[in-house]
Amino acid sequence: MKLLNGINSNKKSCQQGNGDLISDEKLTALVVDSDIICQVLEKAILESQGIQAQVVGSGRDAIDLLASGVNFDLIIIAMVLPIMNGVETTRQIRAMGIRSKMLGVTACSYERERRAFLDAGVDEFIEKPLTPQKLASVLREIRNA
Amino acid sequence: MQGYLDEQFVQLEDLQDDANPNFVEEIVTLFYTDSARLIHNIEQALESRPLDFIRLDDYMHQFKGSSSSIGAKKVKNECTQFREHCSARMQKGTLHCLHDSLHMVLKPFNKGGELVTDFNLRCVRTFQQVKQEHTILRRKLETYFQLARQAGLAN
Repeated sequence: MKLLNGINSNKKSCQQGNGDLISDEKLTALVVDSDIICQVLEKAILESQGIQAQVVGSGRDAIDLLASGVNFDLIIIAMVLPIMNGVETTRQIRAMGIRSKMLGVTACSYERERRAFLDAGVDEFIEKPLTPQKLASVLREIRNA
Repeated sequence: MQGYLDEQFVQLEDLQDDANPNFVEEIVTLFYTDSARLIHNIEQALESRPLDFIRLDDYMHQFKGSSSSIGAKKVKNECTQFREHCSARMQKGTLHCLHDSLHMVLKPFNKGGELVTDFNLRCVRTFQQVKQEHTILRRKLETYFQLARQAGLAN
């Protein structure tokens, strides 16, 4: 399906109000979600923001990819994943020494889930669906870092 | 469509452009294909005895996530109801196992010879609501996309 193919190669520049460029680099993101709708949507949102996005469907695939040396500015990770859940995956990613910005996402934001995800190492936690507005502050932090 | 879809659907339309002119219809089609699989899994899980509430909760969590991603407001709300029943059931834990045991003694079997508990019935009924909203929304979206295509041809 063409939704799952290709990556827009738009280079996005961020401008301050006075017109000065903050950053001209293309950011990269990894989406870790087993739900195909969320995969497509999150990739589309990221690409609409000029971010190069890669998608994997499990925690194991995410860890293998990161262990191979591929780096990402942002990792968006779902809580419910097959075999190894998002919390455990996050824990293992942080144990690997990876300091990428991590955004935990879940369909239901019960306090216990939120706390577990934050304790495991995500920087922020949001309830699905991901929107450009929810992503905006995260991207601002990354670009200004 | 009012009441059936929320702001998220507008976000999907904002993502549609010349490079992806049918993005919204394609993602909705993908949703209905994938949710058919989830519905089948949930139906199978509801037939198992005893009910595996953790598995049911996981399936409905997925369903809620994908419903919310396309802005399917009513479907999402029904999924939340179902999960609340599962959550209440899981929290009851041992106490409810005893309740179920008591049911086995006091309540009659249903026509199929199966043991019936209040929680099981509530789950089944809530799931029927999920499927109903899912079907209603599909019909409305099919009409919507048909009209959109006609409007596009007219332009």
